[in-house]
Amino acid sequence: MLIQLKLSHILLKTLVIILIGSAIGLTYNAISPGGIALKGNWSPKVNSDSLVVPYGYEEDVDPPAISLDYAMMKFQSKNTIFLDSRYPEDFKAGHIKGAINLPYEEFEEHASLVLSKLPEDDEIIAYCDGTECETSLLLARELLELGHKDVKVFFGGWQEWQEAGLSVETDK
Amino acid sequence: MKILKELIRIVTDKRVVLLFRLVLGVTFIYASIDKIAHPEQFARIVYNYKILPQFLINIFAITLPWVEFIAGLFLILGIFTESASLLVSFLFIIFIIATSINLIKGVDLNCGCFSTDPAGKKEGATLLIKDLIFLYMGVMVFFFNKSFAALSTLLQKKSLPKR
Repeated sequence: MLIQLKLSHILLKTLVIILIGSAIGLTYNAISPGGIALKGNWSPKVNSDSLVVPYGYEEDVDPPAISLDYAMMKFQSKNTIFLDSRYPEDFKAGHIKGAINLPYEEFEEHASLVLSKLPEDDEIIAYCDGTECETSLLLARELLELGHKDVKVFFGGWQEWQEAGLSVETDK
Repeated sequence: MKILKELIRIVTDKRVVLLFRLVLGVTFIYASIDKIAHPEQFARIVYNYKILPQFLINIFAITLPWVEFIAGLFLILGIFTESASLLVSFLFIIFIIATSINLIKGVDLNCGCFSTDPAGKKEGATLLIKDLIFLYMGVMVFFFNKSFAALSTLLQKKSLPKR
């Protein structure tokens, strides 16, 4: 009985701490010039080229985003490589024809091997599933950091490519 | 057996528990300041964890740092110590779960623990170990806090009627 009473006391005081903290937080956010909206928009956004990009994409510093048209135009080019950042299982089930798989999750293990096969001056187009995934962007950022100059991201990704009925292949 | 007993005596000593309390308090205040200063970056980190529903992300990013700050302050001052240590331990359990989920997923995200700078340290197993040590300290404070050098006892002593 006593323990129960003590525990409920402790829990009540815990709630008090949470309420005090939250109240100060909300007040501070309301008066601070750096305050943010209570309900943020975390859905994909549209960039200046009217392309849908993930929320985390920053146009000024991130690799350029490209459209389906651009991807189609470059598809035949010998100096363009499509890099698929999805899991190997997804890649095997279907990918842009001729694309190379470099899963972002396994970047550190496989990057040097995969990248050593790619000519340094080639244009690299990274893609993942679609606008809801960010691994193409994360992969492209890593490549930029490694010194690749011509890296782009096709945010429409596998979904847009497939919906457009373009060349695909599967690995069995 | 003797060594074990001695070890238990040391880690439950009121001065050691006080040290845990202060370390946790300072850590929490330190961790909260950068998040308070950069709510947008912190919200982005919360978003990157992809655990909370989208409508809760900003509210969480606005309130959590201040709850951390108050809990840290209360731990240092010794006000509501048991509740503050309970809250701190609970938060560490949440952080451990969130970090583990992302470790299992294999996504190497910025943890947003001490800094909101995206170029900051990347999370990993070291982060988990750090969290576990802090969790241990929180649990120790919760169970073995003797209100040693605590504001609450000082105030209580003052308010006792004079004989």
